[in-house]
Amino acid sequence: MLEFFRSSAVRVALAFVFATTVATTAVFALVYFQIGEANEARNRLILEAEAAKSVNRPVDELKGAFEVRLTHDLRRIDFAALFDSNRKFMFGNIEQLPAVAVDGKAHYIAGVRARDRDDLEPAIFVARARPDGNIMLLGRSLLESYAYRRIVQRALAAGLVPMLLLALGIGAYFARRSSRRLTAIHDTIARIMKGDTDLRLPIGSRHDPIAQISRDVNLMLDEIGRLLVQLKGVGDNIAHDLRSPLAVVHAQLERGLESSSDEQLRTVVKQALAHIDKAMLTVAALLRLSDVEYGPKSRNFQSIDLSAICADLFEFYEPLAESKSIRMTLETQSPVQIDGDGDLMREAVSNLIGNAIKFTPENGSVSISVACEDGLPVVRIRDSGIGVEPAERDKIFQRFYRTSSGHRVPGSGLGLSIAGAIANLHELDLRFNDNNPGAVFELVGRRR
Amino acid sequence: MTDKAEAHAQTIVLVEDEQAMADEIKGELESKGYLVRPASIAQAADAARVGDAAMMIMDRIVFGEDSLVTLEALRKEGVKVPVLVISALSSVDEKVKGLKAGGDDYLTKPFAMVELSARVEAMLRRLDDVRTTKLHVGDLEMDLIEKTVHRGSNRIELLPREFRLLEYFLRHPGRVITRAMLLQEVWQYHFSLETNVVDVHISNLRKKIDTRGAPSLIVNIRGAGFMLNANA
Repeated sequence: MLEFFRSSAVRVALAFVFATTVATTAVFALVYFQIGEANEARNRLILEAEAAKSVNRPVDELKGAFEVRLTHDLRRIDFAALFDSNRKFMFGNIEQLPAVAVDGKAHYIAGVRARDRDDLEPAIFVARARPDGNIMLLGRSLLESYAYRRIVQRALAAGLVPMLLLALGIGAYFARRSSRRLTAIHDTIARIMKGDTDLRLPIGSRHDPIAQISRDVNLMLDEIGRLLVQLKGVGDNIAHDLRSPLAVVHAQLERGLESSSDEQLRTVVKQALAHIDKAMLTVAALLRLSDVEYGPKSRNFQSIDLSAICADLFEFYEPLAESKSIRMTLETQSPVQIDGDGDLMREAVSNLIGNAIKFTPENGSVSISVACEDGLPVVRIRDSGIGVEPAERDKIFQRFYRTSSGHRVPGSGLGLSIAGAIANLHELDLRFNDNNPGAVFELVGRRR
Repeated sequence: MTDKAEAHAQTIVLVEDEQAMADEIKGELESKGYLVRPASIAQAADAARVGDAAMMIMDRIVFGEDSLVTLEALRKEGVKVPVLVISALSSVDEKVKGLKAGGDDYLTKPFAMVELSARVEAMLRRLDDVRTTKLHVGDLEMDLIEKTVHRGSNRIELLPREFRLLEYFLRHPGRVITRAMLLQEVWQYHFSLETNVVDVHISNLRKKIDTRGAPSLIVNIRGAGFMLNANA
């Protein structure tokens, strides 16, 4: 809900509603006050003038004039009455002298009851003392002009509320529409960042700023993709071009080793060979990684059983673990089938098990489990080894990254990258967790 | 006649467009006593058709041309010469493609020369006679039907994988066998390892088949792999 109000379209809609409300209310308020105030001001003047004019008329004449006045008052808006010096009612249509100053000036009274009427009504009164000590009261009801005001109020409500609802509704509709598009864009970007680099933002059929920006971002992604391929091409070409020279140098050194009996020379050559072996291992792993990552997507996947693959690798690695006095266990239940390439999956899991054994000291333990959790396949390789420092956890999946503690252990530093790339190809996530002590590597199916 | 046949059996036709690579392969194999004849794809195909080659080594892509096309055609014609495909394409897919097209083995660049010569020897001296029911070396005997192994009169109990490992050695006596070959042939793993698991398996096997005090049946070859001591 909070998200909803944060959306820019809703904000625009709310601002629009606010502005319209203010403007409309201002117009109505003007009308409202004009109707009330102008009427009232005029009435005040008239009443005061009348009171001044009639104050010296004899009582009889006044009574007659009041009767005529009240008889002719078809709209029933006039008040007229005479009270004696003790403020007792003498005649007129108001029996009780309202609480106004007897000063000949007009005063407002919120509610007064006329003699022949039921309702309290607002009115203005002028009370004036006569020379004979009586008090003359003239007044005019404001009921009518208040009724006009109420009509204006009602008109305001009748106009404003539907307009508010309409504006809110339209705002919500546009907000929903644009938030749906933004969500789609957000999801796509998340997937692109996860490695689905072929995806592009949805553009839709409209020609609006979002579509324009999406189009621009797509162009940018195309360019980044092109640069990536170029960069990868450079890296691959280097690796590619290194292969033959490395193989040739290797062969030549081997031949030299066979033909020479100079011990000193032989030692140097042997060391050189060991380094070239390492370089060849790295180049091979790099090309392997590139093959898995950028190779043809249309691999002939078929149904493979992760349990069987892990059982097979367990049997393969168990003697190695035993030679280090590492206790190795396997936990599989029923077959866990996924669509995939058996050779590649074996390679990925082999890398993980090999690592686990490599980084676990003697008398430690390594456990492999395969299961279906919440309908998703999970392969978990747990070890009691040296684990990974928290600061290094993000980096272990990067190419060539070797942990500070793992530097002494031989390897290309690409094993996890290859395992990760293979996992990605199978729509599995390769994750690291702490085992306190040790590491847990998991291959977990992605929820679709 | 026998001499000529022997000479033919030793001729290896090499299709490789990288000169330095071709030179090294030639040097390596010649040092092992083979005759190496560099050829183009077309020349190699002709040599294979007339039975002029004991085996062929073909680079996958030669001057931009895919040699698998020719290999496939040769197999369709019924030409059975053993072929080792070497390639820069390392994915399992490519390996499978190479083997499907009729390659007998597939080697990915970069490789060590010992790996190449070990595979060449394994291919040329393969004991592929399916009628063989028993394999021997010294006083060790393997019965392929009964799935039993005896050393002299002692029965040796082997796990199924150990049995297959030993069988592979017995089928290639006196030949260098690399770790990669064992991974590929015994375990069907088509990837390289950064651990010495294979060595551990071999040493476990040795403990079972060797007799105390006598030299081991399987010896280590430095920088290359292992070999079954055929003279034991």
